[in-house]
Amino acid sequence: MKGYEGIALVCPVSLGYVKQSAHGAAWFIGSTLRELINAAGIKKSEIDGFAVSSFSLGVDSAISLTQHLGLTPRWIEQANMGGVSGIIAMRRAARAVQCGEANIVACVGGDGAAHRSFEATAANFSSWSIDASFPYGAGGPNAAFSLITQHYMEKYGATREDFARICLDQRYNANHYAPALLGHKTLTLQNYLNARPIAGPVHLFDCVMPCAGGEGFLIMTEDRARQLELPYARLLAADELHNAHSDDPVQDRSGWTHYIDDVYQRAGVGPNDMSCLQTYDDYPVISMMQMEDLGFCVKGEGAQFVQNTDMRFDHSGSAAHKLPHNTCGGQLSCGQAGSAAGYLGVTETLRQLIGTAKDNQIPKAQYGLVSGYGMVNYDRGLCTAAAVLAGAAV
Amino acid sequence: MNLGEKMRRRLKLNRPSLRARSRPPKQRSPVGRQFSVVNLPVSLALQHCRSCAHVQYPPTELCSICLDDALTYRETSGRGVLLARSALHHSLWEFFKRRLRSAPWLIGSVKLDVGPVVIVHIGCDTIKAGDPVQVFSHTDVSQEVVLVAAPSALDLTGSAARLNIISSLGLDQPALRKGGI
Repeated sequence: MKGYEGIALVCPVSLGYVKQSAHGAAWFIGSTLRELINAAGIKKSEIDGFAVSSFSLGVDSAISLTQHLGLTPRWIEQANMGGVSGIIAMRRAARAVQCGEANIVACVGGDGAAHRSFEATAANFSSWSIDASFPYGAGGPNAAFSLITQHYMEKYGATREDFARICLDQRYNANHYAPALLGHKTLTLQNYLNARPIAGPVHLFDCVMPCAGGEGFLIMTEDRARQLELPYARLLAADELHNAHSDDPVQDRSGWTHYIDDVYQRAGVGPNDMSCLQTYDDYPVISMMQMEDLGFCVKGEGAQFVQNTDMRFDHSGSAAHKLPHNTCGGQLSCGQAGSAAGYLGVTETLRQLIGTAKDNQIPKAQYGLVSGYGMVNYDRGLCTAAAVLAGAAV
Repeated sequence: MNLGEKMRRRLKLNRPSLRARSRPPKQRSPVGRQFSVVNLPVSLALQHCRSCAHVQYPPTELCSICLDDALTYRETSGRGVLLARSALHHSLWEFFKRRLRSAPWLIGSVKLDVGPVVIVHIGCDTIKAGDPVQVFSHTDVSQEVVLVAAPSALDLTGSAARLNIISSLGLDQPALRKGGI
């Protein structure tokens, strides 16, 4: 696969996280776009590529948004793939800029959160979920992931205390990231274990809080970024694979196992070189599965790995092995802003590598791994993607 | 309250939680509805591909292996193994919210011997992950077909035994609210 040389990722923006909002998706997407333009110091007309992801556009599409927002892009992409949207938009946009099909691409994920909208999304998620999973208790994603979690715990001996390690360290990170919706609250092991049961082994703090918000970044050439004096990060390698291991009766691994070694080889770095890891944390078991599949530990040892690893951004935990993980608190502590949640790992990694994270900045961050996962069509998440990013200096 | 007043109140207070009767989700895709119809007279019917013999679920319009549309519903054994089970304490749907007030709602996933993985209501709380089970279909009070797992030793020949399980789950009756609209 051809590399992504010459591509710069700039201006990570996270905007307007709120639990419920009267604003629609177009407001969150457009407001994120405005912040991107302001941050880059460019004119709106200079944005000639537009990649957008949203679950709540309703009858509108990326094309409708061009008229809403007064854009005239010559390259457009709509990536409504939940937890992989951000990485997919980034890959597509990087190729477009590399091939000269666009000069500056705005990649934006945004969703509203109207009253009872989550219920409607869950009830109408896919034809398979309508026919064959929603009628069974109507638990939404909690139900599907409770089966995956239960199976993982029985197969590999993981416990709720192990999942707590992920949730607690992420909450610590969120306590240092102002926009996180749950960042003002601390979470103790006792709180975690005593939380209200939701579905089987899944309790309240294993679940994300649906919310509204926008996430975005710009992709342009390194030359252009330097010309605009914008600090940037580079995309070293990325890959994706969907509906992998489809014969596994219950999901406990996914597409990453097919390509992650190749991604590390193309990037020229390995898991031990990463300054931070951002996984898609819709449920802690899924983060644990990613740590295994991304090569941080072998399959089935995720529980032991998180017990022996300090995942706080500032290395302040007691465990000897350090790996800052979901350094802004992830969706578990920020809230899950629909498709924007699939961009959160990318924008957070960019902030860390560019050095614009505030209270949760990792000192001297050089390399970051972002992983995406998503779209529970029926009994498992189908999409996977992973990308290795690097600061401009390394 | 006469019917007109009742309908006006329903429109004004259009909330599932205020309804006198709530029922399980009725929505199905066109092939899902077909699945419900085909399963009415039999214990379990699944799509079989006449080209490659693949058995599939959830129902679709094409065989997911050979992409042929030569799919026929055939009466199929529901024998399989329970992969995982989970007790739901929270639901997005009013019917289940009301049922959950008395006890958690049990669901599971079953690997059928004929191939597919099916998500089911668990008809008997003694079955655990790894146990052999039998899956049958039945209409719920929304007149749609749902799948239920029962212990493999149970004799389910004859519809009475199956109806018995559906009744014990409360799937054959709407969930009521006193004083609801």
